[in-house]
Amino acid sequence: MSQDSLATLIQMANQIADNHRYHGSDEAAAEHVATHLKKFWARSMKRQLIEGAGRDASQLSPVVKLAVKRLASHQSDC
Amino acid sequence: MLQHFDPNKDYGTPARLSETLVSLEIDGTTITVPEGTSVLRAAALADINIPKLCTSDNLEAFGSCRLCAVQIAGKRGYPASCTTPVEAGMKVTTQNASLAKLRRNIMELYISDHPLDCLTCPANGDCELQDMAGAVGLREVRYGFEGENHLVAEKDLSNPYFAFDPSKCIVCSRCVRACEEVQGTFALTIDGRGFDSKVSPGQDEAFMDSECVSCGACVQACPTATLMEKSVVEMGQPEHSVITTCAYCGVGCSFKAEMKGDQVIRMVPYKGGDANHGHSCVKGRFAFGYATHQDRLKSPMIRDAIDQPWREVSWEEAIAFAAKRLKDVQAKHGRDSIGGITSSRCTNEETYLVQKLVRAAFGNNNTDTCARVCHSPTGFGLKTTLGESAGTQTFDSVMKADVIIVIGANPTDAHPVFGSLMRRRLREGAQLIVADPRRIDLLATPHLKEAQHLALRPGTNVALINALAHVVIAEGLEDEEFIASRCDDDAYRAWRNFILEERHAPERVEEITGVPAAAVRRAARTYAAAPNGAIYYGLGVTEHSQGSTMVMGIANLALATGNIGREGVGVNPLRGQNNVQGSCDMGSFPHELPGYQHVSDALSRRRFEQAWGVPLDDEPGLRIPNMFDAAIAGTFKALYVQGEDIAQSDPNTQHVETALKSLDCLIVQDIFLNETAKFAHVLLPGSSFLEKNGTFTNAERRINRVRKVMPPVAGKEDWEVTVDLANALGYPMDYRHPSEIMDEIASLTPTFTGVSYDRLDELGSIQWPCNGDHPIGTPTMHVDDFPIGRGQFAITEYVATQERTTSRFPLLLTTGRILSQYNVGAQTRRTDNQAWHAEDVLEVHPHDAEVRGIRDGDWLGISSRAGQTVLRARISERMLPGVVYTTFHHPGSGANVITTDSSDWATNCPEYKVTAVQVEKVSQPSIWQRQFHTFDKLQHRLLNGHNDQAVVTSGVNR
Repeated sequence: MSQDSLATLIQMANQIADNHRYHGSDEAAAEHVATHLKKFWARSMKRQLIEGAGRDASQLSPVVKLAVKRLASHQSDC
Repeated sequence: MLQHFDPNKDYGTPARLSETLVSLEIDGTTITVPEGTSVLRAAALADINIPKLCTSDNLEAFGSCRLCAVQIAGKRGYPASCTTPVEAGMKVTTQNASLAKLRRNIMELYISDHPLDCLTCPANGDCELQDMAGAVGLREVRYGFEGENHLVAEKDLSNPYFAFDPSKCIVCSRCVRACEEVQGTFALTIDGRGFDSKVSPGQDEAFMDSECVSCGACVQACPTATLMEKSVVEMGQPEHSVITTCAYCGVGCSFKAEMKGDQVIRMVPYKGGDANHGHSCVKGRFAFGYATHQDRLKSPMIRDAIDQPWREVSWEEAIAFAAKRLKDVQAKHGRDSIGGITSSRCTNEETYLVQKLVRAAFGNNNTDTCARVCHSPTGFGLKTTLGESAGTQTFDSVMKADVIIVIGANPTDAHPVFGSLMRRRLREGAQLIVADPRRIDLLATPHLKEAQHLALRPGTNVALINALAHVVIAEGLEDEEFIASRCDDDAYRAWRNFILEERHAPERVEEITGVPAAAVRRAARTYAAAPNGAIYYGLGVTEHSQGSTMVMGIANLALATGNIGREGVGVNPLRGQNNVQGSCDMGSFPHELPGYQHVSDALSRRRFEQAWGVPLDDEPGLRIPNMFDAAIAGTFKALYVQGEDIAQSDPNTQHVETALKSLDCLIVQDIFLNETAKFAHVLLPGSSFLEKNGTFTNAERRINRVRKVMPPVAGKEDWEVTVDLANALGYPMDYRHPSEIMDEIASLTPTFTGVSYDRLDELGSIQWPCNGDHPIGTPTMHVDDFPIGRGQFAITEYVATQERTTSRFPLLLTTGRILSQYNVGAQTRRTDNQAWHAEDVLEVHPHDAEVRGIRDGDWLGISSRAGQTVLRARISERMLPGVVYTTFHHPGSGANVITTDSSDWATNCPEYKVTAVQVEKVSQPSIWQRQFHTFDKLQHRLLNGHNDQAVVTSGVNR
């Protein structure tokens, strides 16, 4: 996967988080974001985001960082 | 078909819906009809047919021809039965010697100024004047033809589709009234008085120079050959007809395809069609010639690389070639490296099969549809709030609306037949609120009372809808009873607290939207106070970075005011293409099986696995933009595209082209060499809507039959091609007719269990859900409850789009559609509709034009961060200063070269409606346009079998 496509995914995830910022705490917003990613993103996109965040999470918003952790935990459970 | 009237009969005057019934006697027969019914209609209902000329049951009675005169016991003279309402106990005589004499005298006068060329007249055999002359027994004309007459009146042939021959006009004014009452354009008038009276488009203009929109209502209304389709003039009267469904917009009009053998002579809007009730627009009525255009692909073709000539092959070879390529790609790059795109222009059965092919034969969920780039936010937003991914009403529901809000839609251009119905309701006094950056034609509806136009800045929809909702709640205008009884309490309280925050007040939001606070407050009060308030919206809502949020905001507003669950209200997405609703229903999205059943839902998935005989992936697949990104990244290598032109319609054209060039195998199934096909390796000729059986589902969830009227040009209906491809891939599909596909859909989709072709033939059309609970379908949704139990208010935080103006790109571009062209124009550009819109232009506000020294007609370079293109300028005050507008109907215009990858947060629906641009005068086409023309020229040469390396550009790399 290219850096460009990872950057796109990070941008998309941050945008999703921006649209959930009203949901109280970062944890609550992250839950919504993780649920959205689980429900609508392809497996390869989720995997790439998780792997990308593992290498460098600097471009991820705080809510997305939390969401990716939840997502990673869910994916590893599957 | 189950009909309460015979749609092929003209009952003379419109039906009346009074529940009070009146009995009268006509020619000794007792007849009972609703109060307000005309004597003429009452007689017709009893099959007593009174001669008539100036009446038609789609127009209010006019009483000018007097041919329908009758005698009524106790009344003097000969009242016109069309303008005389029934009365209890009335005794009517329709035939006697005096009436016969009167009618003959009337006909004699008409005929004395009418050319007696019946045998060579194009209306011969389909002329009401001729019929009435026969009915009244006219045998002579005593007045001669030497006196003053209109027999040499000049024809107007300016319209490409119909001729106007005033020498044959009887000035019954049916055309004028059809233009007013049915279409709502008021383009025609009766000019002059007495003998000089004549039908005139506008101020004695030619039809093409007038305000006429070529809907065909006048042609249909004309009882003579005065207004006549040129196709009938040239080819004669049709000899049989087939009822089918239009393949243009989401209104889904029913038409009678009137035929000679397998040649369409004309398309006549079908009165029995529940979506259109006998009305049409210029596209459906006249623009069907593309089906037999010389550009149609007639043979399958293959090639190894896109710089090679196409090779015509048999269907077997093409399918085998495609299947091998797909298998090879999967063997090399993995199961998830291929996918498919279904079409909103194809039938339900065809889209169902394509997604089934992807899920069952490809073995992944990489299926998507063009709804991705139009109404995917509708699916997300309405499912979240109301529990179903569909509009809530019938089109007819608008006739009971007291306040109509139109947001980001342009119904008179994009959904013209529904636009006419809406205009009819507005003329009756309903109030109109339009939220749109552009001044749409609906605001110029003749006889419209004062309308409210909230001309907001592009990209600020959510801020506006929140402000409207804030007013409703802050001023206590909500419907407390509806909220308490129908909505989720926790969700409502959370939303109420959110929306009451002062930051949503119109006065605070004004700076964002540009809409004066007072106007927002007034609009909110108007909607909330209405007995019935209805919201209609289009792509100006969905094609934004917050498209889904805005859809939820609209649903919030409807829930808060109790405007859900009855006629006259509701949340109504106006779908762009003919089968957008259907393609979504059929499981085209990568996360949903047919009927919006999520792929992760084990119970639903198991039923499909059992029926389809293969295990299914429980994770969503790639959406169209994700496919493009993955293609460029090298992980997505093959794509099957049925009936879509992603290279023209999707945003950021250069990105799309790069993605398509990255594929090892692109299979395109289409009726023409569209822009996408130029990047293809396999070309499978498609079939037009006239060449196949199936169903379309319109914007009101109405499933309508599509019936084959001619054989497929290349020998196969589209569904048959998908079947062949599946079988070649080793996944067996065995259908003999699309009805069998629908039976399978019904067996797997809870909202379709009652749908079958037999049932459709019986009922005419069905609005889903149609199942045990709703055996004849569901015209109005959410009457008693929601599929999710209670209505869910959603938090709709406004997040400004990243696509904003800068000093480099100081203007906002928004895109849209016009009446005469359809979507990417592949169909309409191959018809005479070109006469109205031969090129896309850039509308620029006079202020912005003046600052840049731009004059009307100048060539303008439009640049965004994605690319540059060049269009001709049109100075227009329809937009606010700072906003420019164009359409995307012509591929060479490159409108989507400028649009960016900015998209809806929830669905990736592109933000076509907001692109920051700069505009400047230029003297030549853009670099992209020059490359486009070179590539286009090359691909057409390759289509014709030429191998001309001289024109191969460096841009072609595979």
